[in-house]
Amino acid sequence: MEIPRPSHLVELGQRTINPLIFWGVITIFLSVVLGFMVREAGVADGIHVLFLVPVAAYLIIMGFFIGYVAKLNRERSRLLAAQIHEESAKVGEFKKLNQELEAYAKQLFDKDFELTLANKRLQNLEQAKSKFVAVTTHQLRTPLSAIKWTFHMLLQGSLGPTTADQHTFIEKGYESTQRMIAIINDLLNVDYMDVDRADYNFLPVDLPALIDSVMFEFTNQAESQAVALKSFKPPSTLPRVIADPIKLSMVLENLLDNAMKYTPKGGQVTVSVGDARMNSAESSLEVTVSDTGIGIPSHERDKIFHRFFRGSNAIKTQTDGTGLGLFISRDIIEKHGGAIWFESEAGRGTQFHFTIPINRNNLSKK
Amino acid sequence: MDKNNVSGGQTILIVEDDEFLRSLTAKRLEKENYHIEVAVDGENAISMIDTVRPALILLDLLLPGKDGFEVLKKIRETEATKAIPVIIFSNLGQKEDIEKAKALGVDNFLIKANFTLDDVVGKIKKLLVDK
Repeated sequence: MEIPRPSHLVELGQRTINPLIFWGVITIFLSVVLGFMVREAGVADGIHVLFLVPVAAYLIIMGFFIGYVAKLNRERSRLLAAQIHEESAKVGEFKKLNQELEAYAKQLFDKDFELTLANKRLQNLEQAKSKFVAVTTHQLRTPLSAIKWTFHMLLQGSLGPTTADQHTFIEKGYESTQRMIAIINDLLNVDYMDVDRADYNFLPVDLPALIDSVMFEFTNQAESQAVALKSFKPPSTLPRVIADPIKLSMVLENLLDNAMKYTPKGGQVTVSVGDARMNSAESSLEVTVSDTGIGIPSHERDKIFHRFFRGSNAIKTQTDGTGLGLFISRDIIEKHGGAIWFESEAGRGTQFHFTIPINRNNLSKK
Repeated sequence: MDKNNVSGGQTILIVEDDEFLRSLTAKRLEKENYHIEVAVDGENAISMIDTVRPALILLDLLLPGKDGFEVLKKIRETEATKAIPVIIFSNLGQKEDIEKAKALGVDNFLIKANFTLDDVVGKIKKLLVDK
């Protein structure tokens, strides 16, 4: 940074002189010139000396005065120069800071852009994943159907006689295919859950009608398993509950699926709905799914709602599952502000109950 | 009389794009003495229904071109075909699919992987007897 030269210094060619000396010299010079002029004019000696004194004094005082002002000026200039220096240093610093700020802002913008992109990519990935799962599971069911039907036709003897040994092996193949299909069906349900797990869409729901529509999906299965599927409704109209019909259907599907899976041929599965006000202070409806199936062993009752838990007797039967159904069901019922519980006797059957509040108030309390 | 002859040669139209599934289904139904016609896609199915006038249609959902829902809609909209029993026989089977098919007036919805062909024969017989 260039420092400006203080302005009070008198310039003489390349050199600079202190004004005090400059004015002193000029004063002495003028006094001498004036002295000679007076003497040449022939004025009396006493007079010209007396005349010279004030002039010289004036010049000397002027010299000092100008010198003092110049000194002040010089001091001011020096301060000013220092200040300018300081300010310009600050300006430089500000410039640097500004540049840094701009750089940070740009980085921030880039990061934000990157994050937005990454987020978008994640969302797309999530959608792609769900779509992938849905498509592959559906696609997987097609060749599995072919294998299952082929095994079944072989077992029925439709494709010619088989030896007892062959029959046993074909039976194993058929059972394995059945298990694989069960797992794929569960995966489809779980993924379906996953896709819209966050958004619950609560609205007034006619619970008996919802039960009817879910039970319709099970009529074929009940028929082929020779299990009697029945429903009981009170004769009076029930109030509507505040619920997400899709999520609630899923709970019913899970409970019915379990009941059907673990109920042997000739058994019975019953769904009933009623007013739960008799049993609890809050006004809610209660749904019960009863079966005459294998039951839940007493030592495993605490674990039944755990993720991936499957009853030891359930594993022994050939039907397969992921152990997610009840875990998901409890989560859904609790989000509705209701409760889910069960009673069971091993070998005799199980009753699952859940309640759904009639008023929305109960929901916000949760 | 043999119970296999009860069907008395009624025509069943199988709409299925997968060749092996189609041939297995046809083979099994032929054993029941049904007369089998096959269609491999939606457009094909619609023109076949007009010419063949089947007693029952076994309809897949995922088909090239027009899908099973469109075919079902067309069947129900056409005066001459709207009374024909239709069984959706597909590997789709999420709640929305079942409800959509129900709304379009399907008679039964069977997920292929969850049933054997014997089950399907049972369902077909039930629908044709009820009719």
